[in-house]
Amino acid sequence: MTSPAAVLLARKSARRKNVVKQFVPLIIVVVSLGALFLWLSMLHLDSIEQRTLNPSYIIARVREHIGLTLLASALVALIAIPAGIIAYASKSKAFRGIALALGNIGQATPAVGLIILIAIWWQTGFFTALIAIVAYSILPVLRNTLVGLEQVSEDVRNSARGMGMTRGQVLRQIELPLASPVILAGLRTSLVFAVGVATIATFINAGGLGDMIVNGLKLQRFPVIVAGAVLVASIALLIDWLAGLVQEAVRPRGL
Amino acid sequence: MTHMNRKITVGVALAAVGLLLLSGCSTGGQSAQSGSEGSELAGLSGEIGSKDFAEQYILAYITTDILNAHGADLTANTKLVGSANTRAALTDKKFVGYWEYTGTAWITYLKNTAPITDPQKQFDAVKSADEANGIAWLDPAPLNNTYTFAVRSSEAKKLGVKTLSDVAKLPASDQTYCIESEFSTRDDGWPGVEAAYGITVPKDNVKLLDTGVIYTATQKGDPCNFGEVFATDGRIKALDLTVMKDDKNFFAVYQGALTLQAPILKKYPAIATIMAKVSPKLTTEEMQKLNAKVDVDGDEPATVAKQWLQEQGLIK
Repeated sequence: MTSPAAVLLARKSARRKNVVKQFVPLIIVVVSLGALFLWLSMLHLDSIEQRTLNPSYIIARVREHIGLTLLASALVALIAIPAGIIAYASKSKAFRGIALALGNIGQATPAVGLIILIAIWWQTGFFTALIAIVAYSILPVLRNTLVGLEQVSEDVRNSARGMGMTRGQVLRQIELPLASPVILAGLRTSLVFAVGVATIATFINAGGLGDMIVNGLKLQRFPVIVAGAVLVASIALLIDWLAGLVQEAVRPRGL
Repeated sequence: MTHMNRKITVGVALAAVGLLLLSGCSTGGQSAQSGSEGSELAGLSGEIGSKDFAEQYILAYITTDILNAHGADLTANTKLVGSANTRAALTDKKFVGYWEYTGTAWITYLKNTAPITDPQKQFDAVKSADEANGIAWLDPAPLNNTYTFAVRSSEAKKLGVKTLSDVAKLPASDQTYCIESEFSTRDDGWPGVEAAYGITVPKDNVKLLDTGVIYTATQKGDPCNFGEVFATDGRIKALDLTVMKDDKNFFAVYQGALTLQAPILKKYPAIATIMAKVSPKLTTEEMQKLNAKVDVDGDEPATVAKQWLQEQGLIK
């Protein structure tokens, strides 16, 4: 027999473990950035490396990278969630198929090829990069919106209808809240995709940390490549961590 | 027991020597092949590598064809991507050799930051520095695949610019540049150009693009007038671009030369004498023409290489 006190204690320690677990990504980011900084400060950098491995250059690239990522993800949410809802609500198999096929094509098309094609046909720069990133990262949100809405139990839906709710009310007050954890999980995946794929913005004058990575690769400057790669990975981990916190916070009670 | 052991050892040793002799004989038999132009290189086999652009493919096929015509048994490997990988394949002894550029080796592999302006001195410096890496440099071809700035010909006329000094005097609104990210941080790249020509334009006038995009962007004049291009590229003529003269001789020299594993050159010194007949014919203009056949007309690099060697009377 376990005493109630012991149960309480066990719960407390479990919660503490949970809190520690929550901060693991943050700790990894801080430790890797610290290690990177230490390593770089021990190296003797030549003039080529100094032009990229300096605070103002790095801050500018990180800012561009995060800007591209967040704006692209916001656009993804604005496009994919309504598209998913419409595809679900229309009950049309054809519409659903077309929407998912487009999302699949976006993700399957090599983003590097897409960005350069748009640059040649249309223009170079920020907006072209945005299009390529959105095309690449739209699928997870679209699919999760559809799946999230479809997995709502038929009984729940029927009881809501039985209480006299309209189709719209059921969607807004029952189905969407119940689907929200799944949709948010999709958005989280999209965010991480966007961080990674934003590195190709460098090819068309849209900046970001790809500048650093490509520069280091082409010129065989190992510290530049490592710094660029660690920074991209850190941003991905951080954004995923923040999105996780948001996901926890907005999760409907009782789910 | 020991006596027996010794007997066995001697027996094994004799057998091994016999096998060695046999295998020696058989390779001797195989290497009696000869090409259309001679058999000085009989026994030389392996791969000639290349980086991932037209000029490199053509040079790899030219080298393979001419050396095979002298009895070698080489194949061209044009599958690697990026200078660094190609160089690594040579230092790892996977390639017999490939064509490299003096400026690239000096800055990228030998980790110098400032180029040497005199072509011969630059070549000598690279050659002697690479000896320590077990890499031999044959005498270079005259082709200089250096950086240069190009602008669409109509715009060059309109703006009245012929040299980079002319360009530097233009109003800032006309002075828009497209460069590669790599070029943006090299001492022999953008920072150097800015200093040498006294270019002072807002940061937004300098766009960072991928190499391939620069050519089309320069042709369109959007987002820039002046694109950083490579001097031997066939697209300069095909897209009707005009190259701005580097009147202050700022740019480093990127002369092409065949680099080889040093021990292989030592074993087959004839490689140098054979290549000495080919290299001098490869000028910047000649290379532009050959590159255009691949990049613009869509011909196969292997065909372009063979035709050229035949036209030059180097192979039958």
